[in-house]
Amino acid sequence: MQNFFSLILEPLKGVYAEFADFFPNLLAMFIIIFLGIVAARIVRAVVLKLLKAVNFDSWSDRMGFTTIMRKGDLWAKPSAAVGSFLFWLLIIVVFMAGFGALKIRAIDDLVSQCVLYLPRVLSAVLIVVVGYIVTGFIGRAILIFMVNRGYHFAKLLVEAVRLLLIVLFVAMALEQLQVAPRIVVSAFSIIFGGIVLALAIAFGVGGIEAAKKVIEKETVEKKDEKNDDIEHI
Amino acid sequence: MADFYQTGIITTLHRLGKPSLERLESELMEHSKARPVTLVLPALYSEFEGQAMPRIVEELARVKYLQGIALVLGRASDKEFRKAKDSLSAIPYEVKIIHNEGRRIHEIYETIRRNGLNPGEDGKGRSVWLAYGYVLAAGKSYAIALHDCDILTYSREMLARLCYPVINSNLDYVFCKGFYSRVTNKMHGRVTRLLVTPLVRSIQNLIGEHLFLKFIDSFRYPLAGEFCMTTDMARVNRIPWDWGLEVGSLAEVYRNYSPRRVCQVDIAETYEHKHQALSAEDPEKGLMKMTVDICKSIFRTLASEGVMFSEGFFKSLSVSYLRQAEDTIVKYEADAAINGLEFDRHEEAKAVESFTKALSLGAQVFMENPMGTPLIPNWNRVTSAIPGILEMLKKAVDEDNK
Repeated sequence: MQNFFSLILEPLKGVYAEFADFFPNLLAMFIIIFLGIVAARIVRAVVLKLLKAVNFDSWSDRMGFTTIMRKGDLWAKPSAAVGSFLFWLLIIVVFMAGFGALKIRAIDDLVSQCVLYLPRVLSAVLIVVVGYIVTGFIGRAILIFMVNRGYHFAKLLVEAVRLLLIVLFVAMALEQLQVAPRIVVSAFSIIFGGIVLALAIAFGVGGIEAAKKVIEKETVEKKDEKNDDIEHI
Repeated sequence: MADFYQTGIITTLHRLGKPSLERLESELMEHSKARPVTLVLPALYSEFEGQAMPRIVEELARVKYLQGIALVLGRASDKEFRKAKDSLSAIPYEVKIIHNEGRRIHEIYETIRRNGLNPGEDGKGRSVWLAYGYVLAAGKSYAIALHDCDILTYSREMLARLCYPVINSNLDYVFCKGFYSRVTNKMHGRVTRLLVTPLVRSIQNLIGEHLFLKFIDSFRYPLAGEFCMTTDMARVNRIPWDWGLEVGSLAEVYRNYSPRRVCQVDIAETYEHKHQALSAEDPEKGLMKMTVDICKSIFRTLASEGVMFSEGFFKSLSVSYLRQAEDTIVKYEADAAINGLEFDRHEEAKAVESFTKALSLGAQVFMENPMGTPLIPNWNRVTSAIPGILEMLKKAVDEDNK
């Protein structure tokens, strides 16, 4: 009879012992998550104050980031959006740290993979942001240059350049995120190479006469300069 | 039928003979191919429940030359916005409703404010300004026509006559204001009859000939809310957000364009809309508020033109105005008598007394703060501060209308 009871109690004791071992980890997870959420809220509040102090919203309006948000039907203030982004990023980190405290191998592996992937996400975001600024700057510079030179298709050309740059930066970001990197690189090479080749052929074939005129004009001008020298002497 | 006399320094287009609406509309169809026109309607939701709006919608549904309608809906909840949208579904061309109290438009105002610009307070001026922004953002129109949504006697002929001088490339006016007689069994339009015209003429008596005063005096109904103008003008003109909207808008037209390219057109035989109470005791309400704002607008425009004002000037002006207004009452009494119209001379005299008070109040406010201008910055100014604002506005309106 005693054996029978021990048959029942032994597994329960085992479960209890495992739970007793596991419980501090569980408690640690809850404490980490709770404190993490509080910290994330504080960070969000501090960031919002900081962004307000530096007039981030106004800067964002002028730089065109607000326009991008609105195009995506996001109508929060840019500072609030940055605050929320940081908050949720911290929440993800907090949850990963919390789950790490459980000391479960599968979760540990998943967490470490996520942690390793985070810098890639950040650098991809940075590439997109910098790319947007660079695209806007180059686009505007080309537009001003072309309009001042009196080209009729300035806007069309600028749109084409913008598109090319966007393709370039999106490909870079995707490559950074390791989203099917081979396909992305191949697709980018094909698209970008194709566009450049098309432009080269179009300009080469269509611009033979123009190039000939430019070269002839320069040659004549040089000759004239030489002639001038002789005449003055 | 009117006479053919040309008044002042702008062109007056009269209603002569029996103009054919069909001819006018067929010509507009042709001209609008090269010069598309959008109709801007400032409306409150309460107007959708009134008598005027169903008739206006019915008439507009038969108009074929409009590129689209941009209706700015004020004082409406999300549910009322959808109801208003349903009410306009009978119109067979593009109608966009700008939900003035909506979340997205609210954010547009916030964006403008946080960049140091003031979009003004809620009202017709701000609604109209926002609609101009949308029309500019859409980039489809050469001209903008505008009328109120409380016209009980609305007919599509009004719109056709309003648009014609601007849309017709042979005439090539940049701004056309409507005029009409506001007569039922008696004469209405007290503020125009008994304030604006006598005031403008009194100032002319005191300071001598001034082109702006001549310009304002050339309009038969300077406070009419119906006009048509080019979108270029909508881009450069600032709009007052207070009751000085009409006079202030005319001041901007005067400032930016030659009077030779401005006209007024007789758009209706009769015109009836809601009447404002005088509210003689409270200068913050009704016609009194309107009167104070109009006086301020005129003084500020003249000051910006270099006219010097002093307390002595305003004292003389009050006396001069009172005499002009009293003489005007006598003229209108005779006019009413010959046409068999009711004319309450006592009420008219009381109105003039109130307007004199409002004039003094307007002068006082102006002297205290001559720079306190209620003008909303023009769209060129706004886009220089926030380059993407028009795109944002278009996105907001398009999303609201999905």
